[in-house]
Amino acid sequence: MAGPPLLEIEDLRLGYATERGTLWAVDGVNLEVRRNEALTVLGESGCGKSSLARTLLRTLPRNARTPSGQIRLDGREVLGLPEERFRREVRWVRIALVMQAAMNALNPVVRVGEQVAEPLRVHQRMGRREAQRRAAAAFEEVGIATDFLRRYPHELSGGMRQRAVLAMALVTEPDLVILDEPTSALDVLTQASIMNVLKRIKAERGVSFILITHDIATSSELADRVALMYAGQVVETASAEAFFGDPAHPYSRLLMDSVPRLHQEQPPRAIPGRPPSLLEPPTGCRFADRCPKAYERCAEPPPEVAYDTRHRVRCWLHHPGGRR
Amino acid sequence: MASAAPVSRTASLLRDLRYLGVFTAKRVIALLLTVLVGVYLTILIANMGGQVDELRMAQIQGEVAEQVRGDPAFQDLDSEEREELMQRQIDLEVERLRLDEPFILRSFDYLRAAMTLDLGRAEQMHSDAGSRQVYNIIVERLPATLLLFGTANLLVFFVSVFAALSLSRRYGSRLDQSVIGLAPTSAAPAWFYGIFLILIFAFILPLLPSGGMVSVPPPEDPWAYAASVIRHMALPLAAMFIAQIFISIYSWRTFFLIHSSEDYVEMARAKGLPDALVEQRYILRPTLSPIVTSFLLMLIGLWSGAIILEQVFNWPGLGTLLFEAIGHRDTPVIIGSVVIFAYLLAVTVFLLDFLYAILDPRVRIDGGQR
Repeated sequence: MAGPPLLEIEDLRLGYATERGTLWAVDGVNLEVRRNEALTVLGESGCGKSSLARTLLRTLPRNARTPSGQIRLDGREVLGLPEERFRREVRWVRIALVMQAAMNALNPVVRVGEQVAEPLRVHQRMGRREAQRRAAAAFEEVGIATDFLRRYPHELSGGMRQRAVLAMALVTEPDLVILDEPTSALDVLTQASIMNVLKRIKAERGVSFILITHDIATSSELADRVALMYAGQVVETASAEAFFGDPAHPYSRLLMDSVPRLHQEQPPRAIPGRPPSLLEPPTGCRFADRCPKAYERCAEPPPEVAYDTRHRVRCWLHHPGGRR
Repeated sequence: MASAAPVSRTASLLRDLRYLGVFTAKRVIALLLTVLVGVYLTILIANMGGQVDELRMAQIQGEVAEQVRGDPAFQDLDSEEREELMQRQIDLEVERLRLDEPFILRSFDYLRAAMTLDLGRAEQMHSDAGSRQVYNIIVERLPATLLLFGTANLLVFFVSVFAALSLSRRYGSRLDQSVIGLAPTSAAPAWFYGIFLILIFAFILPLLPSGGMVSVPPPEDPWAYAASVIRHMALPLAAMFIAQIFISIYSWRTFFLIHSSEDYVEMARAKGLPDALVEQRYILRPTLSPIVTSFLLMLIGLWSGAIILEQVFNWPGLGTLLFEAIGHRDTPVIIGSVVIFAYLLAVTVFLLDFLYAILDPRVRIDGGQR
């Protein structure tokens, strides 16, 4: 593929100041997203996946420290961009966000249509009428009747609100849309129909997605690639087929075994133990004390090893000198 | 579909109007009942459940006796005739005041008069212009209170809301922390600061007058008059400002902090809206109902003034009036000022109900469609 990928994240670190020291929620993450590619960031609660998303758009809480590392959009560094330029050039122009808890992502006292059209009015200085027309088009695209543009958020159902937030993310035609747990508050049918909308939009628009979720089933639907996070680090990145078919990291394998499947005799198995504290993470591999294959080398921090083309694993087992 | 739309729109408009009518009627009735109960309780309390009648009776007897004895026209009557005359006059007075009827019956007449804003005549007090009408007495004092407390409260309200908004942006900064540190200064009331201000600025450094509203005699020139009033206002104003500003900033700052961590505020920032727009449309706009509520309640709170502060600064306002009325047991004045306050409060609450519906679309629907 010619040129740099759409998004490159290099050695990204983000810490939160707490009373007991700095909590590194994102600790040395490397990732890339190409154009029209959907990357799923998978991980359990507290692994840092939402912090990663928030760092990308700089919507960090007050106690967050300045993140370090690099974030490049089309090869251009944006992490160090001054606040005002970041607002004008990145937010909703290049990267849009569908928030976790999208139920409350809409201002209760402003009509939905106005909120959806707002990024156009601000970033493209578009007139009200034209912006409303574009908002209506976005509503049609995500499957809401355009009458709802004139409604207030409380008059919409949960699924419709989620779609409205999605329409808001698409209206400025950004290159990358981050979906932070977009369906976790919805029922299964609504989830499925929203996933279908996302698939259609990806095919039609050529937009890239980063889907952040803890739900393996949801992640497998849209993903071209999967990144699995554990305790602030990415432990495995691979194409979706490789990840779901032949996961390399012991954590990935155990995670696959923990998913209940149809037509399978074996009951799902839980992974014993808990993730380590991010305030004082272990110096070596962070999964070592839960890992059935851990050996003495795991006391040292594992490097990211190329397992296959575009398939990397942070594990000593796959290191050239490691024990298979 | 196209032809059905206008019909259903008319129908829904009619339904909305009917709903609005029913809502208004319900609110008016509920508020009138509230005022009624409040005023009646005041009547009972101000008359001490009828015990004031006995005081009044004794007072009438004393007055009549004084009058008859002092009048030279009755000097040559013998004591029996004089007794009889006095008794006749007392009976006339009792009949005029209807003191022969049970208090409970009269209390309802008082209630009717109060509710129809027929405030009656004061028993002992009178306005500076000489009127004994309660209405005139109150209206004469009103401007003084409104001027002082209106200025102070408007100043505190707007300064604190805008300072709080800017502090909530700088959460945890040194400025923020010093304002929080100063919040306990509001534990002391305004008159407490007033005493110290008088001591410092009127006695130690004789810069400003220690009390009153205008110098004696009042200047002729309107500009000089205004300047004199401003000089007299400076200290009480400063006392109220010091006593209220920090706690007010503190509470509004906390209010804005809570509301600026809403998901939709974060979303607005993520959307790349400029800070001013986020503040205006995503923080202030959704919180307008509580802000307006507290503003309006503050405005009607002005009505009663502040009894002690007005005393300390010798300010000729309603607080002083109420203080004097209670001292003189001048029941009509006490009741009159409570009645007006109750009506003001009821009207404000009534207006607020409609303001909420205008400000917050979530309020509109309740009871309407559901």
